[in-house]
Formats: sequence, structure tokens, C-alpha cells
Amino acid sequence: MESERFLECLIQTALASGFADCEVYYRASRHFGVTVLEGEVSDYENSALGGVCLRGTIGGRTGYAYTERMTEDALTYVVEAAKENAALMPESEQEILYRPQEAYPVLEAENTDLEKLTAEEKILAAKKMEAAALGKDGSIASIDYCALDTDWTEVAICNSYGLSLRHRKNDVTAYVCAIAKNGEEVKTGSHFWKGNNWKNFSPAATGKKAAAIAAAHLGAIGISSGRYAVVLDGAVMARFLGVFCGVFFAENVQKGFSLLAGKQGEKIAADCVCLRDDPLLAGGYASMPFDSEGVPCRNKAVIEHGILKTYLYNLKAAKKDGVASTGNGFKGALPAPVKTAATNFYLQKGARSQEELLQEMGNGLWITDITGLHAGANTVSGDFSLSAEGFLVQDGAVGQPVEQITIAGNFYELLQRIEEVGSDLYFTSSGNGAPSVRVRQMDIAGK
Amino acid sequence: MLKRSVVEHTLEAALETGADFAELYVERTKRNQIGMANGIVETALGGMDYGAGIRLFCGSRVIYAFCNDTSEPTLVRLARDMAATVKGSRLQMLSRWQENGRQNINPIAILPDGVAKNRKAERLAAASAAATAYDRRITQTRAGFLDVTQEVLVANSEGVWAEDKRVRSRFSIEAIASSANEKQSGHLGPGGSVGFELFDWIDAEETAREAARIAVTMLGAGACPAGKMPVVIDNGFGGVIFHEACGHGLEATAVARNASVFAGKLGAQIASPLVTAIDDGTIPNGWGSANMDDEGTPTRRNVLIENGILKTYLVDRMNGRKMGAAVTGSARRQNYRFAPTSRMTNTFLAPGTSLPKDIIADTPYGLYAKQMGGGSVDPATGSFNFAVLEAYLIRDGKICEPVRGATLIGKGAEVLMQIDRVGNNLKRAQGMCGSISGSIPTDVGQPMIRVKEMTVGGRG
Repeated sequence: MESERFLECLIQTALASGFADCEVYYRASRHFGVTVLEGEVSDYENSALGGVCLRGTIGGRTGYAYTERMTEDALTYVVEAAKENAALMPESEQEILYRPQEAYPVLEAENTDLEKLTAEEKILAAKKMEAAALGKDGSIASIDYCALDTDWTEVAICNSYGLSLRHRKNDVTAYVCAIAKNGEEVKTGSHFWKGNNWKNFSPAATGKKAAAIAAAHLGAIGISSGRYAVVLDGAVMARFLGVFCGVFFAENVQKGFSLLAGKQGEKIAADCVCLRDDPLLAGGYASMPFDSEGVPCRNKAVIEHGILKTYLYNLKAAKKDGVASTGNGFKGALPAPVKTAATNFYLQKGARSQEELLQEMGNGLWITDITGLHAGANTVSGDFSLSAEGFLVQDGAVGQPVEQITIAGNFYELLQRIEEVGSDLYFTSSGNGAPSVRVRQMDIAGK
Repeated sequence: MLKRSVVEHTLEAALETGADFAELYVERTKRNQIGMANGIVETALGGMDYGAGIRLFCGSRVIYAFCNDTSEPTLVRLARDMAATVKGSRLQMLSRWQENGRQNINPIAILPDGVAKNRKAERLAAASAAATAYDRRITQTRAGFLDVTQEVLVANSEGVWAEDKRVRSRFSIEAIASSANEKQSGHLGPGGSVGFELFDWIDAEETAREAARIAVTMLGAGACPAGKMPVVIDNGFGGVIFHEACGHGLEATAVARNASVFAGKLGAQIASPLVTAIDDGTIPNGWGSANMDDEGTPTRRNVLIENGILKTYLVDRMNGRKMGAAVTGSARRQNYRFAPTSRMTNTFLAPGTSLPKDIIADTPYGLYAKQMGGGSVDPATGSFNFAVLEAYLIRDGKICEPVRGATLIGKGAEVLMQIDRVGNNLKRAQGMCGSISGSIPTDVGQPMIRVKEMTVGGRG
């Protein structure tokens, strides 16, 4: 069945079988991916997917169900499954469907030129990227992974209150990871490029950057455990924000899963900390004109000069607090319920360059990579203890690379201990961003 | 799930231009998930995943495509599009299909898809209540039940026609303890290739009290001291150390690309002679068990390391071709959206002879990691990290005060050589493992072990 007709039929079937109101969320995607290894295509992937998720209210309760089969028989299956799920939910957890009332921001995220790019052009670019990463000087032993993906996504939301929205976006993601070796020592370095303007993509520059990162970490030494002054690279700080952004979600605050309860309007971070959630950022990796409930998205300050300005809300959490949704009601995968998500969530730039931050620090560590966030970070308490890599800094100059250390602390304390925010701004591929930051002291475990 | 003629026409189209192998994978999966926060249902979800993946080999090249329309015209068109990227003439004919006829290793007593959702919710409510009642400092609970019924068909150009039905159920509980300015959590998640009888196999309320005990214990704990020290890792989920430190490096995915520290080490001593490690996809009703892998090869028991000597890697069809190695029944994928590759199933260290109490008594100073959290590894360098949920300091052979926030880091190749005690109390635990072919259920396991020296991260 055609998607538009299927959505319409699903709404009608749900209403006819007793739902008081309902919403249909549709997502379709096309993906092309190529992985190259040693100058040859090693993997090649192509896909076209579509599916719908129904959400509706019946007997004062909210039910969800989804299907990837968009056929006549799936209509009844989905409606009946949503009914059964609704019966289980308490009335107190009833979700609200959006009644369209506001204008929507315009966001151009589909570049039709990208769809004209041939498979050959993409493969050639991936090969160039690999060749550039491998280089000619022998410092790179091999390429761990070199891939180029193009994605096209369409989201449509319709509901029984007359909401009807559609948004399309497409982009290219190029990723390369190089392996540098020196005797028994092995180091990896990776880099990515993401965007939907093919002209801005330099395969050679992306490859070289990955190689440079891997090579720079060779010759790494261990250091003694202790407290060190630290500059966290933007890439590191951005990943901290990605993992801990849930503490700013109203639904987590309301359920006791965040320590920011009652802190709105209070100082929770250093003066230099300004944190924004900007879904309308031009070229932002997580830009959207509306959220998964159909609420218009808007740019907002979450922390302004250290003061907590707002939590991030979906419709249900907003109703509990008697405020308006901030347009952060997003769902993850198609089957998932609407929860909260940040979009382009970033720490605003300061005035000083990364070099200046390192100079001001004098002696300490420049942390360039952290791993183990999914296990070594407690998103409730804010505690973290993570494997890290970086460089020693002596008298403001970058010295030897450092390995086999862990960095430990607490996210809430980290926000308060930032002394200076840099002017470089790095975004992860999921839209979390930060400049480099200088932090007073952090606990490092090593030798 | 599909007519033979549809499969035949799809594979024929795929082979037209010179691909030397073609495979069709079809999947229909029903899943139900209930999540409860503080005793109240928070999510009740369900639905159907449905789709097909076509894979072609051309020498060492893999071409993969997937869609969720499995009508004959769509599949044949997709296969032709894929074939168009191979520029040659036909090499292979379809072989006659031989069906797999293996006895089901995962018999299911109560199909979970048919169990009323309120019965599942009742179990979660009872477990949540047990966690809350454990101690007045338990302020929040989260409980969940997930059941998945996955039907798969794998048919290829080399005569494999294999079908499997995989039913899995998992219960999870998290308890959070709070003081005025601090929160600590404990969580456990037992499951298996079982139906609703999971609740007869485990005591959900006792599991909930155990999660609450961990949270309350860690609430009062001081910060873990940092530095190098001996570490005793307890049984069960402690096996995540082997999974991360070594298991991923033994997957052909990494070995074939020469991106593993264990590449080229078959027959070499890569671990202490006390270490024997096994990956066994045939454990009846095991969380990572299945009758066949996702290429249609029957699963089996693979001895990876025997007395410290590397015996085999985990090998899938394509990487086996690159390495000149036979497949080991280890090709897995999350669903039809992923091409399969070599992955772990139920992986564990075999029991040794030491008594757990003697291991502790023989340790003058060190860390006792009783409950491990998750971790990750870079197979190319072997560097791993993982979190310790519940830890204590050992002094003079006795378990002393609890410490929080400990992280263990190291390099797999070094840690394996440093294992100097292996206990006799093997236990397995369930986890989800993420890698290039998606997130899949795997068991980790081990008896209590001691590592002579490891870097411990902490704030103390």
C-alpha cells in the first residue's frame, strides 16, 4: 500500500475501533554504504525501508504498536496490538497528542544534488580517503576501517486533530580509522566528515587527519596517578554532553533520575558555561523543524552563564509541570515511545583558542579521547571513570602522548569546575558539540 | 516463510553477472516489551519487524542489500541491482537445497508472545515492590520484561536451506538508593532462550533484592583508590573481562583485517596456562544459543584457548574465505538490516581448581570486583575498559570496605598472561553485545579469577 494511503487508513481503522484520538508516525529511509579495504570495495550496502508506529488514546490510556509490513492485514494487527498495550498503561501515564496551532520553522535539509551522485563517484571518494590515510611515509601500517554512507530519511506525522507534517533530509557520512604501528606498539586514529554538500567534502583531508591522530599517539608513556590540571578537547567534552544530556530532561527530573530537580533558575555551572539546544542550526547534524510529536522546534538556552534556564520537555512532561513543550519529544527507533532528546546540544564558544587554553594551564594533561562511556558513566549520579588518552603539557607546550590512564570525576562538578571555554567548536555526528575546556583539576589513574 | 520459487528466482538473479555466492535471509520477529518505573507501567510496546537481506560475494567483496517488501518482483529487482555492480558473466549454478534437521536445543515451555501482558506486568510489580521493601533508602526502581520471537530462513546458492525459530525472554531490574546528595544504582538482568517459564527458573524478587543490596552498599562507599594493584574478579558477569579483553580480538572480523593483537597467533601461548576459554552456542536454552547461526551453519562448541594456547578464532563465511579457515557456526546479526559476521555466543572461562575463599585469603592487598558493569575494547590495540558496579578493598586476605567508581583498564594480551588464580565456581550471566553486525544477545561467564596487576581508575 502507498504510504500516504496507509497512514490515512490506519487513522480511520483506529478511530473506528474505539480510539478517542490517534497519531501515526511514519519513517522511511534509503541507505547506500561502501567500505573499502586496500584500494578495493570490500562491502557494499543498499537498502530501502519504511514503517509506521501508531499511538492513540483509548479509555483514557495511551497505547503504541508498530509494523514494518504496510499491508491491509497489518492495519488490524497494529490497532489490536496498540489496544492491548494501552490496557496495561495507567491513566496517570496518558500521553497527549498535539493539536496544531503554531507555524513551523522552515528547514531545508534535503539536497537533491546528493541523490544524483553515482555509486562510482562515492566509491572513488572512499578510495581516495583510504589512500590519503595510508599516506606514503610508512607511519600508517594499515587501515582499520574506511567507509562512506549516504542516507536519505523522510518522516511524516499525521493525527486525528488534523496534524499533517513531512520532512526530508539527506547526508553523507565518511569515516576512516587508521592504524599506526611502531614495533609492538599499536595506535588507532579516526576522523569523520558529515554533511549534505558534496563540494565541501575533501576525502584527502579526512584521511590525512585520521592518520595524523594515530601517528601522534605513538610513543605513548604511562604517568603516575594523581590530580592533574586538564584541558578536555572539544571532542571529549562533546561526548560528555552526549552521555549526560539526560539530566536536563524534565521527564528524568520528574521521576527522580536527575539531580537537577528544583534547580531551575539556580547556578549549576561556572559563569563561562552557556549551553544551548538549537534544532534549527544551519547544517546541524541533529536539525529538525518539528519533534516526533509534531511540536515545532525552537532554539533555546539551557544554561546561561551558569544559570539553569530550562529543562527539555515533551508534551507529557510539560503538562505535568504546567509549561509548554520545548519541542524535544523525540523517539529513537520507530517502535520506541516518545521520550525526550536533545538536538544540536552544545556548549557555546569562548574567546580563547585551544593553544591559549593549553598555555594558561602551563603544566597538566590535554585529554584527546575517552572510551567506555556506556559503562563507565553513571547517568543518575553523574559519576564517571573512563579510559582516556592524551598528551602531557609542560610550560604550555604539548609533549609526549599518554596512554593507559583513566579520568574520573562527576559531571555536575565538572560543569562547575570549568575555568575557561575555548573558541574551537567540535560536533559529534549525533549533534553534541563543545569547544575545548580547561578544568581546574581531575583525578587521573595511571601507573 | 517464502515460497521456494521466490527464493530460487531471487538467487538466480543475484548470480547472473558473476557473483560466486548468493544468500537470502528472511526474518519475521514479534517483540513485546514492558517497562515499569517505581512500580507503574511506563512503557508497553510491541510490534513486528519484517524484512529480507540479500548478500552476494564476489571474491573478497561483499554486496549487501535489504528491504521490507518481500514480494517476488521487489526481491528480484533488488538482486538484479546488486548483480549490476558485479561486472562479469555467470560462474555459479544453484546447488540443490538440503534442509537442516537438527534437534531443537532450545525447547520452549510457554511461548511468551501468547502470555497476556498483565501477567507479565504482575511479575514486574512484585519485583519492584521487593526492591523497594529491601531498604528505606531505595527511592526508585525500574523493572522490565522483553520477549522476542524471531523466525528466520537462510537459503544460499551452495545448498543451505535452514530455518530456525528463536524465542528469548529477559527480566531486568534496577534499584536506586539515595541519600541527601547522592544516588547509587544496582542492576541485574537474567534471561535466556526460554519462554515465560523464565520466572520459574529465576527468583525475580530475590534478584530485585540483590539489585537493591548493591545500590545500598555502594551508597555508603568511599571513592576507590587509583593505581596498579591485584584485582580479584568474581564469577558470572565478571566474564565481561574476557569478552572485552580477548573475545572481540578472536572474532575473524578483526583477525582477517589484521586488526587484532591476536592475529597470526594460532598455536601460541597467549594466556596464562590456567586459562581455558570456550564459546559454546549449543548450551540448552542459553541466552546466546541458537540451533544455527545466521548463515545457516549449525552452532557448536568452540574451544578458543586451551591451557593458554590459542586454538581457534570465531569464523564466518566471508572472513573464513579471506583467512583460509573453516566456519565455526559463529556468524550472527541483529536482524535483516545487518550482514552477518563472526560474533560470540555464550563465551566463558572454564573452571579451575582454586577455592574462591583461598583466592581472597591469598591476596594481601587489592581490589575485589564483585559485580562488573559493561565495558568496551578497541580490537586493534587490545585496550579495554570496564566499570565495576560493586567493589571492595582486600586487606590481609580479607574483604574490607566497599569502594565506588572503580574502572578497570588494560590491554587484553597483557591481562590474559597475568591471570594467576582461577576458581572452581563457573557462572554465566547475560548481556547485549554491540558490534558491526548490530546488538545481539551473548552470555559472558567465568569462575572467580585473580589478575596479578591491573590499572584501577578511581577518585580516592
